[in-house]
Amino acid sequence: MSGIALADAITKKPVRRVRRTPMLPRWALIGGAGVVALIGSYPYYGSNGYMLSLLGKFLCYAVFALSIDLIWGFTGILSLGQAVYFGVGAYFVAVSLKLNYTLTHPTRYGGKIPDFMEWNGLTAVPSFMAPLMSLPFAIVCALVVPTLLALLFGVITFKRHIYGVYCAVITLAESLILQDFIIEYQAYTGGFNGITDYSNYVGAAFLWFILGVTAVFFLTGRVLTHSRLGTVLKSIGDNDVRAEFMGYNVANYRIFVFCVSAFMAGAAGAMYAAWVGLVSFLDTGPVYSVEAVIWTAVGGRGTIIGPFVGAFLVKGAEFFLSGTLAEWWQILVGGLFIFVVLVLRDGIVGTIANWVRRRSAGSFRQIAQEADRKAHDRQRDWQAEGATRHGEEAR
Amino acid sequence: MTQSIITQFLSGFSVVAILIIAALGLAIIFGVAGVINMAHGEFIMVGAYTAAVVGKLGGNTLVAIPVAFVTVGLLGLLIERGIVQWIYDRPLETLLATWGVGIILQTVTKLIFGPELYYVGSPKFLAGGFRVIGRLPFPWYRLFLVIVAILLLALVFHVIFKTNLGLEVRAVRRNRAIAGCLGIDTARVDMAVFVFGSGLAGIAGAVLAPIKSVSTAMGFPYAVDSFMVLVLGGVGNLWGVAAGAGLIGEAETVLSFIFNNVIGRLLVFLFIVVTIRLVPKGIFGYYERR
Amino acid sequence: MRKIKRRTFLQSCAAGMGGILAGGTAPYFFTRSIARAAEGATIKVGILHSLSGTIAIIESSLHNAELLAIEEINAKGGVLGKKLQPVVEDPQSMVQVFAEKAKKLLLEDKVVAVLGCYTSASRQSVLPVFEQHNGVLLYPTLYEAQECSKNCFYTGAVPSQQLDDFVPWIINTLGRKKFYLIGANYIYPKETNREVKALLHKHGGQTVAEEYSPLGATEFSTNINKIASSGCDVVFSDLVGDQIVAFYKQYREFGITAKDIPICSPITTEQEIAAMGPENAAGHYTSFDYFQSVGTPQNKVFVDRYKARYGKNAVTNAVMQAAYFSAFFLAQAIEKVRSTDADALIYEGLPGQEFLAPEGLVKIDEKNHHTWLWPRIGRANEQGQFDVVWTRKNWVRPQPWVPYLYPNKTCDFSDKRVVERLKKPWSQEKDRSGTINM
Repeated sequence: MSGIALADAITKKPVRRVRRTPMLPRWALIGGAGVVALIGSYPYYGSNGYMLSLLGKFLCYAVFALSIDLIWGFTGILSLGQAVYFGVGAYFVAVSLKLNYTLTHPTRYGGKIPDFMEWNGLTAVPSFMAPLMSLPFAIVCALVVPTLLALLFGVITFKRHIYGVYCAVITLAESLILQDFIIEYQAYTGGFNGITDYSNYVGAAFLWFILGVTAVFFLTGRVLTHSRLGTVLKSIGDNDVRAEFMGYNVANYRIFVFCVSAFMAGAAGAMYAAWVGLVSFLDTGPVYSVEAVIWTAVGGRGTIIGPFVGAFLVKGAEFFLSGTLAEWWQILVGGLFIFVVLVLRDGIVGTIANWVRRRSAGSFRQIAQEADRKAHDRQRDWQAEGATRHGEEAR
Repeated sequence: MTQSIITQFLSGFSVVAILIIAALGLAIIFGVAGVINMAHGEFIMVGAYTAAVVGKLGGNTLVAIPVAFVTVGLLGLLIERGIVQWIYDRPLETLLATWGVGIILQTVTKLIFGPELYYVGSPKFLAGGFRVIGRLPFPWYRLFLVIVAILLLALVFHVIFKTNLGLEVRAVRRNRAIAGCLGIDTARVDMAVFVFGSGLAGIAGAVLAPIKSVSTAMGFPYAVDSFMVLVLGGVGNLWGVAAGAGLIGEAETVLSFIFNNVIGRLLVFLFIVVTIRLVPKGIFGYYERR
Repeated sequence: MRKIKRRTFLQSCAAGMGGILAGGTAPYFFTRSIARAAEGATIKVGILHSLSGTIAIIESSLHNAELLAIEEINAKGGVLGKKLQPVVEDPQSMVQVFAEKAKKLLLEDKVVAVLGCYTSASRQSVLPVFEQHNGVLLYPTLYEAQECSKNCFYTGAVPSQQLDDFVPWIINTLGRKKFYLIGANYIYPKETNREVKALLHKHGGQTVAEEYSPLGATEFSTNINKIASSGCDVVFSDLVGDQIVAFYKQYREFGITAKDIPICSPITTEQEIAAMGPENAAGHYTSFDYFQSVGTPQNKVFVDRYKARYGKNAVTNAVMQAAYFSAFFLAQAIEKVRSTDADALIYEGLPGQEFLAPEGLVKIDEKNHHTWLWPRIGRANEQGQFDVVWTRKNWVRPQPWVPYLYPNKTCDFSDKRVVERLKKPWSQEKDRSGTINM
């Protein structure tokens, strides 16, 4: 640990005050129940198959965004390879469904193995893939393998104190390796075309299942981040050197939260594959990860409902507007990235929450005093802050 | 077979040169200003389109190089002043903002030039090649690329180690706060570095355009390769760029020849990850005294 | 005090969310209401080609060709007295989005048919959607075949139409027998090369090597070195997209000329040649059913109109031409059955439909939903065009299953067995293809 960082760790005041709010406040439960009821009853009040298919998809996106929020919003690890875990989960389920589907539905070549195996010259399902014929086994794999991969990755990087920028670039490499792997071993993965045309589960019952899982994950997220553990995670996100100094094993906390988030991403991928009926290598790519980071940022990083709001808003806007706006939609998305970083730093939910918090802080005079005090604090912190915050490799 | 591998090794030099040219701009922006410039690939793309325009107006690659440097440098200036200057202290968020910049650059280029692939010719006097060994000649243009890579490296070394600006850059790189206290205008240094790095990316686009395909989506692979070079070689050290590019370029070409392109690429990626595990800051990584 | 806080929080949240939702969806409902007002007076046709992302390079020209055709149809008075209204969606070069947008076009916009897709991946991703919701897809690309779907009409060439004459021609006329096969790493090149190898075996050629390069890779010095040291005398390339440009450029850079080892390709078009520069392509061969230089009067009109609409430097190619005449097939089919019902179009309207296209008279096969075309071989010249060096005297029947690889398979939608199984509801019938084993 460098001298400056040490001095900084001793003298510097917390940048963000951790405010303990109740783990499950009543308004959150009521609001959450309302949203669940609204989405869950869609099959009754809406008859549109297209909207129904979007809803299920968006829920999977929301879980995926939540998994990114846990590591990025709360713990400060930016992963460009989160889609790896999503994709692995999705591929396990898709392969299993496809294998079973082709048993009863002849492919275009007329065989009983998936067509991508046939045009690559396989005549039977390879023995190492045979266990995937059992869907429960595939589901277990879809949940466990991403978690183990995350564990492996965490041990490789976090234990070596690789984080921040380097971590982002390594996760990018991880994502690209998997993509290359999928495309190269197309006899087993479907390659560039991905896996499509198998029996997927679109319908009210599976929508409720996805909704239930989503609700459980969001509750888990809330409990995790508003417990003692959450406080530690936030402190790591704010200043990992200080957290280390306080006696926390930062690497282990990082690995733990990375595994939890990989588990969620894997589950999201598994549900996505079963719902959409189409998985491709793009689902494991860095572009998809960054997209999800943006949902989180728009909704509000470091908040639990943020990812949900962000995924629904951005994806919703995309599906409704990208056709009519064509190229201009891309410019809008690009602008959104910049806007979120420069202006709307706390995202929609975070901004609203800040506003409410300020409203509840009391009279205008009190607010003004608070702002003065903060400005004063910032000034006093200035030098130390400038020395360490700029570029993490200085640590 | 041996002859082919030697030829392969030689043409590997041109791949290394391409990597160095592509990565230099990023190395400066990432290594000194601390910005993860995800729009780097798009800067290269804009450089390539600049070369295309210069070509249409009758100029060749030699004319396109300074034009691309200036054009993309100005673009970099615009982006630095408009966006990046506000977020220097949040490196991870520069990644997101510049990603957005990349998307916008791609789309705007598409709106201006149309979505189809673009034609850039190579200069007439660099056509053909010279025979070294084996059946295949070594193209003059590839030799030109190697020379450009060496010259650019020399230029950057010169700027960083022999000029006043370079002195200031190194001071800021070492300790921003103290450099500020000594009267160095750190914001101006950041700006200069960003603009210089962008200009180098522009040159990369201009010299790569004649042998690669030019389209609005061409940038991303270059950006990825450049990041790999930096991570392997080490950020903040110019020898790192050369070393990273040398290892990746030669490994990829020779392995691709022995196995195939995909396995070559996979092996290189794995090699990078293992290296990072062993030397987290890269081969020539910048270590602060502890 | 606390209660009020909670309430205001909830209220503000609700208000904020409501506002955002309203703001986000308002333009959508606005456009929907415009679209609804225009309904009835028009017949909607979906156009599903990527306008952004990597494949937009090619697909946007198909999009342009289809819009041009629809404009021409409307200028002549439309169909059934109504105008065709294109509903454009941008799938962003991503297969997931292709499937999603296809669903939207069928369920939300209720289009009568969709003109769209380019890559095999995108077609395979949307086919289940079209089969499930009984839509009509007109697919303009040359593709790997071994497929037939009731809901899809394939207006591009199948490999047998491009290769059956091309490979023997290379062996006999060019006198080159040692083939080096290089392709992108996915289904189309793999299936095509399988047929090339079968043809080589049949006509006495020889495969020196077979190599696949990852999609998107643009550094070919290694491959060219391998080609030079392999002793082949012709390269057969099914690289795609921007790879083609990089490969041809670097091929010439390393000093291999078309006289030494020509590149023969079933997929390199005028568009890629414009991007690589004619000097890099000159002398290499391509087999297609259409070239911009084809001398029919219809082609002159097509090329002139296309250039008038999209700029005088625009080039046309075979896939664009197929996209162009697909729209006319659709218009004629709707006229014929006087209905926009999908089943009517699939069983009566489209099969057997003929049209005098730029390449000559083309016809959708009554049995297998593919298209009768005119194989040609072109040699690239210094102007970036192809000199047609060989034209087949008669049009060629499409064969999705080539007899020399799949002797007992064929597609036949008029066969009783196929009709029986297609009449069953979608969820019950397990085999939905038109393939039958003889």
